[in-house]
Amino acid sequence: MIPLLKRLGLNKYSVDQKSHIEVNTDICLTCKNKPCTVSCPAGTYEAQPDGRIIAHYERCLECGGALVICPFGAIKFRFPEGGISYNYG
Amino acid sequence: MSFDADVIIVGGGLSGLSAGITAIKEGLNVILLERGEYSGAKNVSGGRMYIHALQKLIPDALERAPLERPITKETYEFYCKNKKLTFSFEEKDKKNSYSVLRAKFDRWLASEAESLGLLISYSTLVTNAYRENGGITLETNRGTLRAPLAIDASGVTSVVFRYLGLRNFTPDKWMLGVKEIIKTNVNLPESEGEARTIVGLISGVKGGGFVYTNKDTLSVGMAVTFDSLPKSEVPAKDLVESFREKLGIEGEVLEYSAHAIPYYGFKNLQQLYADNLIAVGDSAGFLINDGFTIRGMDLAIASGMIAGLAAKKIVEMRDFTKTSIYYDMLKESFVLKHLELAYSRFELINKGTTLNIYTEVLCDLLSDMFTVTEDRKTLIEYALLRLKEKGISLTQAIRDMISAVK
Ligand SMILES: Cc1cc2nc3c(=O)[nH]c(=O)nc-3n(C[C@H](O)[C@H](O)[C@H](O)COP(=O)(O)OP(=O)(O)OC[C@H]3O[C@@H](n4cnc5c(N)ncnc54)[C@H](O)[C@@H]3O)c2cc1C
Ligand code: SF4
Repeated sequence: MIPLLKRLGLNKYSVDQKSHIEVNTDICLTCKNKPCTVSCPAGTYEAQPDGRIIAHYERCLECGGALVICPFGAIKFRFPEGGISYNYG
Repeated sequence: MSFDADVIIVGGGLSGLSAGITAIKEGLNVILLERGEYSGAKNVSGGRMYIHALQKLIPDALERAPLERPITKETYEFYCKNKKLTFSFEEKDKKNSYSVLRAKFDRWLASEAESLGLLISYSTLVTNAYRENGGITLETNRGTLRAPLAIDASGVTSVVFRYLGLRNFTPDKWMLGVKEIIKTNVNLPESEGEARTIVGLISGVKGGGFVYTNKDTLSVGMAVTFDSLPKSEVPAKDLVESFREKLGIEGEVLEYSAHAIPYYGFKNLQQLYADNLIAVGDSAGFLINDGFTIRGMDLAIASGMIAGLAAKKIVEMRDFTKTSIYYDMLKESFVLKHLELAYSRFELINKGTTLNIYTEVLCDLLSDMFTVTEDRKTLIEYALLRLKEKGISLTQAIRDMISAVK
């Protein structure tokens, strides 16, 4: 399996200085299954030992999934100004 | 308050560009806003386009558009544990659908639109929308623009409708599409191409996979509902890699991409128009996924064209509350008719387990037929036995079969 970061690195990114994904980590403390960590194709969400989530926003593929994957409405997502560009298709 | 254009289109994918081309040809004053550096920079598709709508938009598209290969061979692969059912169908010289790469294709379509005089503002991100003085105001990273009519062509995330509070998204009504492009030697003449549809290879998820043959690459990917992802045997970030490995496809990976896909079905479509506002393509939820075909691109082009024509009528009437004209025109077109026709199959597939259960029944049945022992039953006896094992009555099976062929 080709590592995720290598696959993401095939695309061109222009990453904003500020994250375009905000997570209300207090809500995460009460979330058991953490669906965001398995539903994001860019591996953006990582659970910390204390149960909070960190968002590696620079990986985001802008699929839009962030708008639906959190059942508790803990993720606030807007599209970044630059973000990803695909070269092939 | 003055307006910046008759119509502002948000999104420069296939639906937005088709709306723009049509509206410009109709003589309207149009601005198109696209957040990518160029059209196609952020667009993802599996990559099989049925070209009937494109040929209406650009009659000589077949000669000029950057299409990859005509799809002349369809292959279906159903996996059920240790069994696999495959069938193929070939039709040489068929030119009804082509593999396409959106980064190339959308860029070309945008250049066509620009040569007709469409003003496209790239790297322009719409960040908010609200109603003001009989029109819609769009805030962007480059300033504010106003128009009496907006066409929301921003794809599944439907930004203008969303900012106006007219959309409600749920994980069961969206699919995640993930895809890789693999460099490969295609051992086929240029006039041939293959589309493979693969079901049941990754367990847990609701949806399937595809492999399309491009000129010298393969598009390999999956489309699965967001609500099924937590049940998947692999996390979303490894979905397409696991799928590709299980298929045994090797080669240099050129791109890894993902996008949400609308999965509403005809009866669950969200609002398609409001005062001063029209939704086209994925923003309207126009997608057909009936287990055999994924069709969004032809619906995007056609609905965009209809929106362009409707815009002309609305502008002429000077009454921007009359956007239902667009809906009336849609109902007359193949767009809503095909979506409605596909609904019974959509419902059947959407039952979740249906596709898997029937695939297993079929696999087991074939296994029965190819196994010879002293104890031999008739085909119908085996069929009834296998259905019973899955808890499906004959009446239910017949009812489902009718839905499937409707
Ligand atoms: C993996 C996958 C496989 C698919 N396979 C097929 C297939 O084989 N055949 C098929 O016909 N369809 C397929 N589809 C569906 C098809 O890709 C879509 O239906 C089609 O792209 C819809 O076109 P659109 O123009 O409406 O939206 P999009 O192509 O999504 O275009 C929307 C545009 O709006 C822009 N935009 C978004 N937000 C903003 C904003 N805030 N400001 C400014 N611009 C914005 C985007 O950058 C983008 O260019 C597939 C989709 C996926 C993801
Ligand atoms: S973001 Fe939502 S789904 Fe993800 S861990 Fe936090 S609460 Fe759970």
